[in-house]
Amino acid sequence: MTPRTRKTLEFVLDNLVWFMLIVVLALFSALIPNYFQIGIFTNIIEASSVLGVMSIGLALVIIAGHMDLSVESVAALSAMAVGILFCSAGIGLGITLSPEWLMIPASLLVACAIGALIGLFNGFLVVKLKMSAFIITLASFIWVRGLVLAVSGGRSAQDLAPAIRWFAIERFLGIPLSAWIAIACFLIFSVMMSKTPFGRHLVMIGGNETAAYRAGIRVTRNLIIAFVMAGAIAGLAGWLLAVRTSGATANLGIGLLFNAFAAVVIGGVSLKGGVGALPGVYAGVLLLSSINTAINLMGLPANYTQVIHGFLVLAAVLLDTFKQRLRQRLA
Amino acid sequence: MKRIMLTLLSVLVLGLSMLTTAAAQSKGVVYYLVPTLLDEFQTGSVSALEMFLKQTGYEMKTLNADNKTDAQQSQMNDVIALKPAAIILAAVDFNALKPSIDAARAAGIPVVEFDRQITSTKSDFTSVAGTIEIGHVAADQAQAMLKAKHSDVKGKILQVLGDPGDPYTLDIQKGFEEKMKAFPEVTIISVPAMQWEASNAGTIVSDQMLANPDIDLIFLHAAHLSVAAVASLEAAGKKPGDVMMMSSNGAPVGLDLIRKGWLNTEVEQPLYAQAAAVAMFMDKIAGKQEIKAGDYDVLGLKGVVTIEAWGPNIKIPGAAITKENVDDPAFWGNMKSPTVAIKSVE
Repeated sequence: MTPRTRKTLEFVLDNLVWFMLIVVLALFSALIPNYFQIGIFTNIIEASSVLGVMSIGLALVIIAGHMDLSVESVAALSAMAVGILFCSAGIGLGITLSPEWLMIPASLLVACAIGALIGLFNGFLVVKLKMSAFIITLASFIWVRGLVLAVSGGRSAQDLAPAIRWFAIERFLGIPLSAWIAIACFLIFSVMMSKTPFGRHLVMIGGNETAAYRAGIRVTRNLIIAFVMAGAIAGLAGWLLAVRTSGATANLGIGLLFNAFAAVVIGGVSLKGGVGALPGVYAGVLLLSSINTAINLMGLPANYTQVIHGFLVLAAVLLDTFKQRLRQRLA
Repeated sequence: MKRIMLTLLSVLVLGLSMLTTAAAQSKGVVYYLVPTLLDEFQTGSVSALEMFLKQTGYEMKTLNADNKTDAQQSQMNDVIALKPAAIILAAVDFNALKPSIDAARAAGIPVVEFDRQITSTKSDFTSVAGTIEIGHVAADQAQAMLKAKHSDVKGKILQVLGDPGDPYTLDIQKGFEEKMKAFPEVTIISVPAMQWEASNAGTIVSDQMLANPDIDLIFLHAAHLSVAAVASLEAAGKKPGDVMMMSSNGAPVGLDLIRKGWLNTEVEQPLYAQAAAVAMFMDKIAGKQEIKAGDYDVLGLKGVVTIEAWGPNIKIPGAAITKENVDDPAFWGNMKSPTVAIKSVE
């Protein structure tokens, strides 16, 4: 194999998920009536905003060698808190601030602070008390969802303040501002992971915690920060969820965790830690969103959609495994 | 010290005797096994059943199965061991709970089916709105709306189902589609909103409105799904009335959307009447007395009791809520508890 061929092959492997996305989009556009149109592609980007933001936080913790199963429930609690405070119908208290734009930072602060607090709680138990991240965050997944139910009484909040809803309605280049927030998050966190010492340390900790500790990296501090960030980002995902649905219901966001995991894995993040980059995760999120959109448009019998969804995700993950094997051969 | 101890002891004894008196006043404890508390109908059913049963002298305790069949089976086993006056069951899964119902009845505990009819085994009473009938009422409304728009029953309907694993939504779909079959010029596109999750419904509506811009009517199987659907329409620049919309269950958020002009119709599940019917017949159920077939007035609605192979069954029709009658306090979505006290059926 010539060095040039090897370089090309490595480039393809590094960005395989993006190529998969292009192939899938091309296939769906050719086979599914009405799929090929700007509006549908915009929808895919918009629909992936919540999942995308949530996947960032999850990816950070996984790259650092741990796991956070609580992100879905944290997003739901943050959405419900924003809903209760700033919705005017249902169980919404209809709080208004003057000037109205103040509601944007206030609601963002509430959502992210709730997430950060839960992240701190998880991080403390996992990192300081050396408890299993899987068990601790699973417990948080359950009790936080329970808290959503407790604070809402099973009822919903509706009619989010227009100043906040503005992000779902206003568009820039045809894409809603809420989706731009997700894109900006990916850019910021991608730079953070690749260009800052903190990001590189997280990758090193995920690769080998003991070696990172011996190299003088402050493992405990960095890991707790990663959990707090994952919580805060999940809070932001909850805020986007509330913005997108103009309120909150007790079951909002159910099932997002598994999609976030799928996106992270498809995006090339190793569940063992130490490997992965956020642009790949974004491609994974877009890929899942494209599949969901295809399912929505195909008009399949209701009972089979989950089966098809599962198999399509499986196909994507198998392709990713194939990629890893090919990479090993190249090395 | 001795005096303080004596005072405390007498307070304790007094408290216990008051508790015993309260327990003696109650006709017994009834357990309600609710499938989930994640939607407003279910949480509403807990408070309505509790209120009406209290009026007829029963104390109610609720166990939430969180939509898990195995959890509900375990709850049934636990409750059977407690020997309550009766069990009210809104089953997560109709077939999986059959053995538990049989076990409870074999242990002498009457079982009432609430909201979700189980026809594969005998129970002591069933109170349902009739999900297939809700589909029929929705179909009538859809026909009227399409006719008003096209002067004929034709056009395209987007039907957003709930979770395809839930028989509640599948029955509504069945009822709706069987009545719409008479109109071959109507195309129905059905897509499920997995796990009844609102943002899924929002995505479906935004995708379908692009792929099929000629959709005349959107029918969502729950009001909370309509909220997200409206959010999607609003984000796409639509205004109230641009697309006809209808949903079912009659939750408060649905009624609000009617008032704002987004929803044309909400097909109500008569939550209060369904719960009141259980309380009205509880003496007969707990006393294992015969329940006679016939028409019964339940909170002003006509409930029809029939004796079916699976036991006495009361069916109370759901009503269509529109802008004209949306403020009627009889609709549970207006969250105004009925002031009429329930009396036991003699």
